[in-house]
Amino acid sequence: MISSLFEIFKSNMMQIPIIQPIVDYLMQIPVVNFIVALILWRPFFAVVIMPGLAALLLYLLYIVWFERKLTARVQWRVGPLEVARPIRGAIQALADGIRYFFQEAIVHREAHRPYFVQLPILAFIPILLPIAFIPAGEVVGIKSPYAVQLVVAFLALIPITIIAIGWASNSRFAFIGSIREALIYISYEIPFIIAVISMIYLYGGGDPYLAVEKQSIVPGAIMNPIAFLVFLITMLMATSRLPFEIPEADQEIAFGPFVEYSGMLFGLVMTLAYEKLYIMTLLFVILFLGGWNGIYIEALGDLNAPLWLFIKTVIVISILAIVRSMYARYRIDQTLRYSFSWLIGLSIVALVFGIIVGWVA
Amino acid sequence: MKVERISRSPIEEIRRHIGVIQEAFKQALIPDRITIEYPRERRRYPDNLRGFIVFDKSRCISCFRCAQICPANAIQMNYFENFYPGVDYTKCIFCHFCIESCPTGALASSALHDMAFKSLEEMKVKANQMMRLPQMIREDVQSVEYRVTKKEWKLVRSSELEDIKVLRVIPKIKPKRAFCEEPESCLGCRQCMEVCPHEAIVMERCEITLEGQVIGKGCVLKITERCVGCGLCVRQCPMKILSLREVE
Amino acid sequence: MKEFHIEVPVEPPKELESLFLPIPKDYVEDVYRKDEFLVLVGPQHPGSGHMRLIVRVKGDIIQEVIPDPGYVHRCVEKIAENRLYIQNIPLVERPSIMDSANFNLGYVRAIEAAMGIEVPERAKFIRTILAELCRIGTHLYDAAILAVFLGHTTGFMYPFGIRELICEALVRMTGARFTSSFIIPGGVRRDVDEKTLRWVYDATFAIEKRLKSFERIFIKNPTVIARLRDVGVLSKEEAINFGVVGPFLRASGVEYDVRIVEPYEAYEEVTWDIVTADEGDGYARFLVRVNEVSQSLSIIRQCITSMPEGSHISEQIGDIRGSFFDKFADLVLPAGEYTTLTEAARGTLVFTIVSDGESNVPYRMRIVTPGWLYLRGFMESLKGERLADLQAIYGSFGYFPPEADR
Repeated sequence: MISSLFEIFKSNMMQIPIIQPIVDYLMQIPVVNFIVALILWRPFFAVVIMPGLAALLLYLLYIVWFERKLTARVQWRVGPLEVARPIRGAIQALADGIRYFFQEAIVHREAHRPYFVQLPILAFIPILLPIAFIPAGEVVGIKSPYAVQLVVAFLALIPITIIAIGWASNSRFAFIGSIREALIYISYEIPFIIAVISMIYLYGGGDPYLAVEKQSIVPGAIMNPIAFLVFLITMLMATSRLPFEIPEADQEIAFGPFVEYSGMLFGLVMTLAYEKLYIMTLLFVILFLGGWNGIYIEALGDLNAPLWLFIKTVIVISILAIVRSMYARYRIDQTLRYSFSWLIGLSIVALVFGIIVGWVA
Repeated sequence: MKVERISRSPIEEIRRHIGVIQEAFKQALIPDRITIEYPRERRRYPDNLRGFIVFDKSRCISCFRCAQICPANAIQMNYFENFYPGVDYTKCIFCHFCIESCPTGALASSALHDMAFKSLEEMKVKANQMMRLPQMIREDVQSVEYRVTKKEWKLVRSSELEDIKVLRVIPKIKPKRAFCEEPESCLGCRQCMEVCPHEAIVMERCEITLEGQVIGKGCVLKITERCVGCGLCVRQCPMKILSLREVE
Repeated sequence: MKEFHIEVPVEPPKELESLFLPIPKDYVEDVYRKDEFLVLVGPQHPGSGHMRLIVRVKGDIIQEVIPDPGYVHRCVEKIAENRLYIQNIPLVERPSIMDSANFNLGYVRAIEAAMGIEVPERAKFIRTILAELCRIGTHLYDAAILAVFLGHTTGFMYPFGIRELICEALVRMTGARFTSSFIIPGGVRRDVDEKTLRWVYDATFAIEKRLKSFERIFIKNPTVIARLRDVGVLSKEEAINFGVVGPFLRASGVEYDVRIVEPYEAYEEVTWDIVTADEGDGYARFLVRVNEVSQSLSIIRQCITSMPEGSHISEQIGDIRGSFFDKFADLVLPAGEYTTLTEAARGTLVFTIVSDGESNVPYRMRIVTPGWLYLRGFMESLKGERLADLQAIYGSFGYFPPEADR
């Protein structure tokens, strides 16, 4: 059975010319060759290393530090500096994570204990499953012609877990936070789906390979700028970033659904929003910015596409981080009103635009 | 002057959005940063900053004025040789009323504003510990200053370290001496003698006369040369017959 | 939509009975029977000051707010009865720390009215500069708190950065950063030299320039305008009936400023405008304060350019260096009641000293702070607004619990 697995792994390995001699040498050693074949097996590489879990961890470490530094720069300050002073405090996120391990995770008496403790972990399922479907060149977990629709469907499941977290806390402010999360979910989901559908019409299908191929000359952002804008605004709403940080409003309802969390559970819920942002930005890059198109470097071979996808994602999120220091928070009824009047209108215009351009080209 | 109602037309809103984005990007690229990285840099304050109080024993006349004026009740007089003030830094609010009240300029101010103590008992600084500036372990390698011109305000760094000095002001007050206004009202209660920190008052036997005739013996106070004019006896006398007069 | 009441026995949550709340039990039961909700925006909340607000909310609309102030009550008036008149000067500055010069000024003017002490012109101008600097500092502080209640952290950092320049100006003039205790009966403690006045003059221009950045990123921010416009509206009659004072009264259309009604210090010698607005909503209250900052900067510039020569303290007292104790410690006010009105940054400040003619401590000192005066108007303006507007209206009023509780 192991030999049949080994054959499967060896048949779909990644070709990276720069480390090929080392790989060839290691493939001759009996046990190590199995592990190397597993690591370089394309689906495994896509899901676990890049653009998967290891890249996600690296991105988390980077974005927490970068967002704080950029916000501090706009605000006439310096930001985190002391943790590793020679590199200007870059491992601040690691220091925070270690601190959460040492803090006591308090489960208060009125909470519904099984859901309170398990939901932050269960919430990772709809967030991390799309990684299996997002391709990067030939490197993909599960190849499917409906990958874009699948990712959108998984993203629609995440707010349910957040509402459940607020309900399990059984506290006054968590209740208000859950209601706000439900309301903002209604307000962003429809324009988001219509914007994605408009791009599907434009490319002719929900296949990411098709989308990236059609963007070899002109990126999707120029082909349909209105859908670009709508996707950007709904991305801000979906991940609770300012100016739409309504479910987690710090000053009004004391952090909303997550008010009773402390310790490592708090660390887990803090990363939920960032990971959702990562997945949405991967989709954004594939649909609008050319996916994994980039300068092809011979020496890297198959590693080109995941690397370009990752770099583009990180650049987009880094620029998006400045929005946090620019705007104040809208109110929930204003968000609902503008979403159901302006945003749906814009997204329908984008849909019509996408249909026309897709039919012409 | 009336504040106008702000318009919310779409063109104005888009212009405001662009203004916000412009400002944020400008600050992200060229920040107007004014942060001081204390303790590696130290800020230069002007010399009249109210800080640690420094005491000069040779000028003190033990008049207790600083202890009596302190609004926070932070000065306790310690006794060694004579009564000298010690400041309790758990209570001191750095109003420097004590320095203004000192008639001889024994208390002086310095610009030292960040002192560290390791325990609460250490914060009650005694008079003999206040005689000079405390030991400074300097971690700063630069000093910063806020430079203001008509156009802008920026942080200017220079490698010259800040020098903390003691600013002593000797008030132009003529020395005074206690003087008894009405010796015949003296009760002989000896309160002035007991309260005087310099032992400058002695009681003398005298004769009580009424219309030229000696009718008895009593005692009356006499102020000797040791008087420095602290004024404690003036406040203590129950008959209120003492006062301070300037000497030439 | 027609509502039907069903008599379902609802039990209010236990925590509302066991905490020390100033609401009776039948009020709580009435709330829960009417299907409304009590939210305690308590003293430990990122969006309240040191005060508890008991908010009765139906859906998302606030029906009524009951304030529970008193967490920062420090018995300033009682302590003042045991200290000498001169020792009360640092005490009365402490309720509102950024606004300390105005509180200091009100108290010292009451003593001067009682003793009949004349203040020289130069001292009046220096006092005016200090009062206006503290007014700018307080308005910047309140703008920053408004920004952080709306979630705009940049709008919080910018005013505090600009306030650093104001504190530096105060250090150069007086020696202390905010609570300077610089104003004493008869004038000020030290004279201010020409170099310092030049520095403060240049600093006003630097402040204006930095305020332009603040204006672009916060004051004219569309999200801020959307949050504050038409929120918490107090009409002119309502504002007068509920006893609102200060810039919040002027934002509802009433032209009342103590510096014009009963001028004191150097306010008659400089030309300045009273700032009013008509709408009475949150944004008008905020804009009135922003424009008052520019008026204050112009007052400071005029005071510096036309500063008269003279002494910094009255001749009845003379230079106090070294003789502070001899001149002030035995101060006894003649018997009677002496009241002064001052325009503190947040409104009208009333100081009353009652003296019995014999003791060197006040018999009774009464302070009525502006925060206490407009609390009622603040609570009334919250009715009918949404729950998220609680923080926006709180920030637009600039309520500061330590000042209100003394």
